[in-house]
Amino acid sequence: MRLRDKVAEERPQNTGTFRGSNANQLARLGWMFTSPALVLVGAVTVFPILFSIAMSLSNVTVSGNGFTMSGFTFSNYSALVHSASWRYALGFTIFYTIATVVFEIIAGTAIALVLERLNNARGIMMAVLLIPWSMITIISAELWQYIFEGTYGVMQAIFGALGFGRPVFLGSPTSAIVSMMVADIWKTTPFVAIIVLAGLVMLPSDVFEAARVDGSSSWYTFWHITVPLLRPTITIAILFRILQAFGIFDLPFVLTGGGPGVATTSLAILGYKVMFENLDFGAGAAVATSAALLVLFGCLLALKAFRTQVGGEGSL
Amino acid sequence: MSRRYVFTWRRWINWLNLASAVIVFFVALPLYWLIASSFKIPRAIGASPPQYFPIPLSASNYTSAFLHYGFARYFLNSAIVSVAATMIVLAVGSLAGYGLGRLPMRGKASILLILLMIAVFPEIAVISPLYLLMRDLRWLDSFQALILPYTAFNLPFAIWIIRNYMLGIPREMEEAARIDGASALKTFWSIILPQALPGLFTAAIFTFTACWTEFLMALTFNNSNAFRTIPVGIALFGSPNVIPYGTIFAASVVATVPIGILVFVFRRSVISGLTSGAVKG
Repeated sequence: MRLRDKVAEERPQNTGTFRGSNANQLARLGWMFTSPALVLVGAVTVFPILFSIAMSLSNVTVSGNGFTMSGFTFSNYSALVHSASWRYALGFTIFYTIATVVFEIIAGTAIALVLERLNNARGIMMAVLLIPWSMITIISAELWQYIFEGTYGVMQAIFGALGFGRPVFLGSPTSAIVSMMVADIWKTTPFVAIIVLAGLVMLPSDVFEAARVDGSSSWYTFWHITVPLLRPTITIAILFRILQAFGIFDLPFVLTGGGPGVATTSLAILGYKVMFENLDFGAGAAVATSAALLVLFGCLLALKAFRTQVGGEGSL
Repeated sequence: MSRRYVFTWRRWINWLNLASAVIVFFVALPLYWLIASSFKIPRAIGASPPQYFPIPLSASNYTSAFLHYGFARYFLNSAIVSVAATMIVLAVGSLAGYGLGRLPMRGKASILLILLMIAVFPEIAVISPLYLLMRDLRWLDSFQALILPYTAFNLPFAIWIIRNYMLGIPREMEEAARIDGASALKTFWSIILPQALPGLFTAAIFTFTACWTEFLMALTFNNSNAFRTIPVGIALFGSPNVIPYGTIFAASVVATVPIGILVFVFRRSVISGLTSGAVKG
């Protein structure tokens, strides 16, 4: 993992920052400076995660006055594994994540390649790309719901004019999933494009010079020089996007409400409904924990893959 | 003259400009639809075939958002929560960024990695314990119910950004201050912090944007009308059967303009922040 390597290599320098001053004293100072942040983050993120795991392993009853947790039980998890809606939500979330991220990486890289060749217009183009990224997801969900509306939506008019009939975009499972992907891809591909562009700009130009002198075709250069050199950057973009897509909530909550039926019910939507509509906090915590564990697993997997990769190439 | 015109016109037709035009077209078209629809008269919102240009132009959706749907309240709530969380993140995050970036602490690498993982953790994993906790504290429907979690959830990434900037500050300045007998806190305040301003600024933009757009916690903790933020307000406009798109889009334009201007003007900071974890880190 690059990040860790970088941190590790800085440690010895840091110890020698102030010659003649006491390293222990400085370390204590460091902890003093860092502790407010660590306490805050620990109390509001780490503690609730652990609490959620505890809740998922016990019988939780919530009443008007408070809630009680009693006993140790795996019943929430065994109910989960046997529940068709959890299995569907898991499958849907995984499929949705893979499909959108693959498309976004390809489209984002293509956009980055175009932007890299622009001179004057690049700044403006990047600013335009940043607008969908910075937009409130709820707003883009309302906007796409209006675009895909079943009787007067503009997408209906466009499809009609092109002679594709008038599909009911959000009314049938498959088309609702595709519509949701379109809305998501519109909002998040710019993020991928900007990260990949930053990687492209930093590539060493002498390698490309050498390839040109050797008469390498641009297609060959792209596949055998650009792509391998870009791999660390693309890996980071994939990692961030997979983790974001896995927790997807805002977009389906507004665009489809998880429907039609349960077609677009992601793990987060399912967890929310079990907790705040059925008021079943134990089962809801089990759903949430299952999503969190998968994210954690993905994190560890990606870190490992990333570290070995950087070990091999190193240069970027 | 006309020959010259044709010549320059031809010069502009190449695959690069064509590709750029296609990208801008696909990004901008939905944005155009948002803005155009916000200016349509109520009858034109549901017109079939759709009205492609908002003629006659009408501001009635904007007045309705503010007068009938109380959008000003939501806007104010979002501003209070986002500004407060951003200030706390900067204060606490800059100290931690300094410690983790420049002071010799054991286990620094593990702390940074754990922070990075927390930054990408799904909110749904913590929502129910936090909800029960807030309920016990009687904090539901209050500003602190959002300010505190927003601060905690945005700190990890902010610390990363600030730390990366701190690493680039020349060490000689710090040493000179130390030799002159300045205390650690004074060194931090008068030497390090001014140098790290661009990093603080980038962290501020990211935190503010994240708070401005956050939905799940705002929906769960602050559901009463008096404490709703913009995303919750917009999502709950109207009744389940009637979705007032015109009003929603007018409110959306008002909500998007500040953040749009912020991101547009400071795009360099935003881009450096987006890539600081990926490329520089």
